[in-house]
Amino acid sequence: MVERVKNDMGGAAAALDFDAELMLRVKEGDGASFGVLLEKYRSSVIHFLYRMIQNHAVAEELAQEVFLRVYRSRSTYEPTAKFTTWLFRIATHLALNSLRDGKNERSQERLDDDSKDKPVRQVSDRRPSVEQSMVYQAKLDEIRRAIAALPEKQRAAVLMHKYEEMEYSQIAKVLACSESAVKSLLFRAYETLRARLAHMA
Amino acid sequence: MNCPLEIRENAQVLLDYGTRKLDEERTAILGRHIEICPACQEFAAGQRALWEALDSWEADPVSQDFDRRLYRRIEQEVSWWDLLVRPFRPLMVRNLMGQNQMVRRGLPAAAAACLLVMAGVLIELPVGSSLPLPQRDTAQMESVQPEQVEQALDAMEMLSEFSHHVRNDGQESKL
Repeated sequence: MVERVKNDMGGAAAALDFDAELMLRVKEGDGASFGVLLEKYRSSVIHFLYRMIQNHAVAEELAQEVFLRVYRSRSTYEPTAKFTTWLFRIATHLALNSLRDGKNERSQERLDDDSKDKPVRQVSDRRPSVEQSMVYQAKLDEIRRAIAALPEKQRAAVLMHKYEEMEYSQIAKVLACSESAVKSLLFRAYETLRARLAHMA
Repeated sequence: MNCPLEIRENAQVLLDYGTRKLDEERTAILGRHIEICPACQEFAAGQRALWEALDSWEADPVSQDFDRRLYRRIEQEVSWWDLLVRPFRPLMVRNLMGQNQMVRRGLPAAAAACLLVMAGVLIELPVGSSLPLPQRDTAQMESVQPEQVEQALDAMEMLSEFSHHVRNDGQESKL
């Protein structure tokens, strides 16, 4: 099977894609391999969607749809690209659709709601003072707002680059654009974020 | 070296420098340039501060029942298929064993009838028509309609293939 992945994907980097091999096993009816992929990418996908959508419940629901689509597509799966490229392509597609459908039209309100409803995240192991917590929350809200204000594609590119540590080429495949377009998207996005969050330095 | 900020296409090397994605040689060259270039110094410092700020944004932990909910949905899909295929299963088995010619002749009709029922369902439930939409804030709203349509189309495709297969079988048996 490894040979088959190598042949199908071409490059040496692709040959190392153990995930594609796992997916081929899922294709052959091995449910346990699907469990391994879920375990490996559950958090990444949910966190990516959460940072895109900025609503935890919607992010988890979309993540369920991502993995459901992966499972449904098992019979037709061909390892033509890295598994994570395919996975994040599905996730990005669903996130962008969700944003465009206006399902997050009250996202700004949700930002506020989220911070009110959830327990305050601790800054460190030591218990933070009320003041420290408030400062941290204010800082976090600013970051979230700055990310939310980015155009959708720039937002997706930044999240994949910063938090998923994806290469330009992989982000390009996920966003279906050229590598130079990704570099340009990222440069503009970081420029905007630096300007918006400059006072935090 | 030329200042990377002078050519926009090259400016991303400063991002790569900040994330330590450049090889040793390029890191050293760019490091020397940054030491003498105020614009690049400002860029690098700003980018470093931005990355530190973004690092502080941790995502919330995943719900404990995430996997259970997913597997339940997968199970439901499997059950759905099972329910759809169950009436045909004995016929398929007998057909494969070549024991019942009458059943073999009846299969295309059964498949066609099923296709008609599925088409009826699709006509009755056009996308975005009479289905009551869930609350906008609920997480369920994403997948209801596309999922139904997708499943119905999958079912039609499967039945069409099945019908085609049965028809071929019938022709072979006549020969």
